[in-house]
Amino acid sequence: MASQDDALPVGDGFGIRMRRSGVLLARGALRLVVTVCGLLTLTFSLSSLSPIDPVLRVVGDHASRQTYEEARHRLGLDESWPLQLMHFGARIVRADLGVSQTTGQPVRSDLATALPATLELATLAMLASAVLGLSLAFLTAARPGGLLDAATRVFSMIGNSMPAFWLGLVLLYVFYARLHWAGSPGRLDDAFEYTVDHHSGLVLVDAWLSGIPGAVSSAVQHLVLPVIVLAIGVTGKVARMVRAALLGEMGRDYVTLARAKGAGTARILLRHVLPNISGVVLTVLALAYASLLEGAVLTETVFAWPGLGRYLTTALFAADTPAILGATLVIGICFVILNELTDRLISATDARLA
Amino acid sequence: MAWMCLRAACAAVVLSVMAPAQAASPADTLVVAQALDDIVSLDPAEGFELSSVQVFNSLYQRLVQADPEHPEHLAPTLASSWQAAPNGRSIVFELKAGARFAGGHPVRPEDVIFSLSRAVKLNRSPAFILGELGWTPANVEGLLRRVDDRHVRVAWTAGVGPGFALNVLTAPVASIVDQTEVSPRQAGGDSGNDWLHTHSAGSGPFRIRRYLPHEALVLDANADCPTGAPHLAHLIIRNVADAASRRLLVEVGDADIARDLGPDQIAALQTSETVKTVEFPSAVLHYLMFNAANPANPVLRNPALWEAARWLVDYDALAGKLLKGQYQVHQAFLADGFPGALETKPYYLDVARAKAILAKGGVPPGVTIRLDVFNQPPFPEIAQALQASFAQAGIHLQIQPLVASEVYARTRTRSMEAVWLYWIQDYFDAHSTASAFASNRDDGSKTVAWRAGWQIPGLTVLTQQAVAQGDPARRQELYRSLQAEVQQASPYVFALQERARVVMRRNVQGYRQGLNADMVYYDRVSK
Repeated sequence: MASQDDALPVGDGFGIRMRRSGVLLARGALRLVVTVCGLLTLTFSLSSLSPIDPVLRVVGDHASRQTYEEARHRLGLDESWPLQLMHFGARIVRADLGVSQTTGQPVRSDLATALPATLELATLAMLASAVLGLSLAFLTAARPGGLLDAATRVFSMIGNSMPAFWLGLVLLYVFYARLHWAGSPGRLDDAFEYTVDHHSGLVLVDAWLSGIPGAVSSAVQHLVLPVIVLAIGVTGKVARMVRAALLGEMGRDYVTLARAKGAGTARILLRHVLPNISGVVLTVLALAYASLLEGAVLTETVFAWPGLGRYLTTALFAADTPAILGATLVIGICFVILNELTDRLISATDARLA
Repeated sequence: MAWMCLRAACAAVVLSVMAPAQAASPADTLVVAQALDDIVSLDPAEGFELSSVQVFNSLYQRLVQADPEHPEHLAPTLASSWQAAPNGRSIVFELKAGARFAGGHPVRPEDVIFSLSRAVKLNRSPAFILGELGWTPANVEGLLRRVDDRHVRVAWTAGVGPGFALNVLTAPVASIVDQTEVSPRQAGGDSGNDWLHTHSAGSGPFRIRRYLPHEALVLDANADCPTGAPHLAHLIIRNVADAASRRLLVEVGDADIARDLGPDQIAALQTSETVKTVEFPSAVLHYLMFNAANPANPVLRNPALWEAARWLVDYDALAGKLLKGQYQVHQAFLADGFPGALETKPYYLDVARAKAILAKGGVPPGVTIRLDVFNQPPFPEIAQALQASFAQAGIHLQIQPLVASEVYARTRTRSMEAVWLYWIQDYFDAHSTASAFASNRDDGSKTVAWRAGWQIPGLTVLTQQAVAQGDPARRQELYRSLQAEVQQASPYVFALQERARVVMRRNVQGYRQGLNADMVYYDRVSK
């Protein structure tokens, strides 16, 4: 039976852990605020250096001087730069991201459509890459220099060097245009696309919620190719980096000891090495996921996928400042959250940091 | 149990992927694949982008419109007839008996007054077109008057004739909107502008069922359209930004029509048994412009450079070899097929003649000129062809490929030296183009002539006289003489006119398209 004295340290330990979690959470929130503020100030400053006149974009070429000035005032562009930045910050606090000049819609509602589309694509691609990449990493680390190792190296090289738009077009040509196995560019067949209501913005979920026969199957057919294109680029990176981390550990004393005790390669890799490289694995996966969130623009263009990358690119080409700032804000927040989550996961899984 | 569910889900995914994907658009639906990213608003008083302008004829109607078969003639649309006043400053329109909007409300004189005045008062990009009639937010309501239940009087203060006024009223910005439907949706005095961004309230052959920005525009047929119900029940315009993807969609049959395919893609489809390429006239003109107002490079002000440049463009090679027949040679500011267009093509590549003109005009060999171009095909290729031919006469063109918005920004602020641009007229009247290229009033209206720094008080007066001319034949004659003068002595080199090529499935019949950007008609399409 534990005495009162024995129980005290347990209670203190719990309190310490809670306080530590609270401090970590507060630090994370502070990092988020500082990063987002810095990011927005930088993007806002760069936008103001653009040679493109946003007023002309609104009123057109033929507007009179009076119309031009009215629009300039309405957009707040007749104020000084610091004042504009301050007003912009105040609007952000009220969750008002302004109206996009290219879609004519509130940026918030544009992002509410574009972000889930990208999240769905990136998450599925990430899951596919994680399963395939980690499997390849373990199999090739078990037999370095083998046939699979060489094949993975070639696959990784192709995945990294092949342009996504080209690979996307080739896959579309073969699997959509010739074999009719995959769906067309877009998120659903025409028969479903405009009858399925957008509740969540995730096509699989919305198709399932609609209850329309065939809608889920159509959504899967349309998702397969863009997910493959994104996953191919990431799988090779994950496989090579995790393999290198695994092999780096294989020469360590604890591995030699495990071998001496009769452990097989699979057991050594999974039970002994994996916990020691969990930080590397999580970091590689987090970086890959982050790159998928904002770097899928070419894939989104080829597959007519209305995601965040294409939204931001269209806004950049049109100098649509509210849309650029809104998309930058969302991507920045995603990055910071992903970073924090990765740090927490690494702390939780690595005994040395616990 | 969970394992069984997982296995069932995996099996469903595998089966659905292996099942043949649907490869045909629905029989009662026309699916069009094109880039829709440019749409800002579907309110006819605001939308002024190519994609929105192309869809307005499907959603809205005007009192009068260009006849789809013969655009030089006006066709009664929501007005069954009209009568100009003897003083030539007003017209009384009789509204078509029984005409109704898609929402079921009758078309009334009040709707005409509401629609035209809201367009002027909102004062968005296309409002300047109605401004050509002298309408301002302050005076427009006083110039529009209900005569009786079926008649409305439209008057104007500008010194223009009824012919020009009727042409202005054919522009999409003059579309008639259902006041009864829009009024309850007004917010903060916006005349329903916010709601009309994504909804429609017109009498056209279709109405908006759903608009998903950057994704698709879904339209349903309007069975009560005053000019007849469309043949198909639905029209889906899908946003497919990549041209190669658009080609695959139409080849496979998931799209019935694909727009804006590249010359190579169209060439590859020539032997296809499932799709056909149909060519339509287009009023899009491509031209080179020098900026005489740029103080950094005085040679740009030299008329000898302008004259020599006309002999340094290999027009036939550009239109034929480089652009593979998607353009034709055209050397005047009114597009071929347009009433009063000048069809003469006096210029061709003649380096010796250009050198002589440059020497006589005092332009030294080795002069360098910065040429701004859009960074998208075919513009960089055109710029390289110009660079090669100009180099033969000792003029070095320094090509600056830029994103479209930056090209426009530099042109609007007159910070470019030379630029290759294209021109799309704003409404179906010669004045739309003449007032841009042959008028520089220096009153803040930044016409193309102003952007080129071309001081032309004489031509500006002639342009104003042409628009005021009531006699159509005399008016056309005036525009021909304006074009001849601009063709010979301006800082512009008109070179090419586009041919719109639309790829469609072989079973698609009845699609019509006219010279102007808004002249796209889906109502008679069947398949």
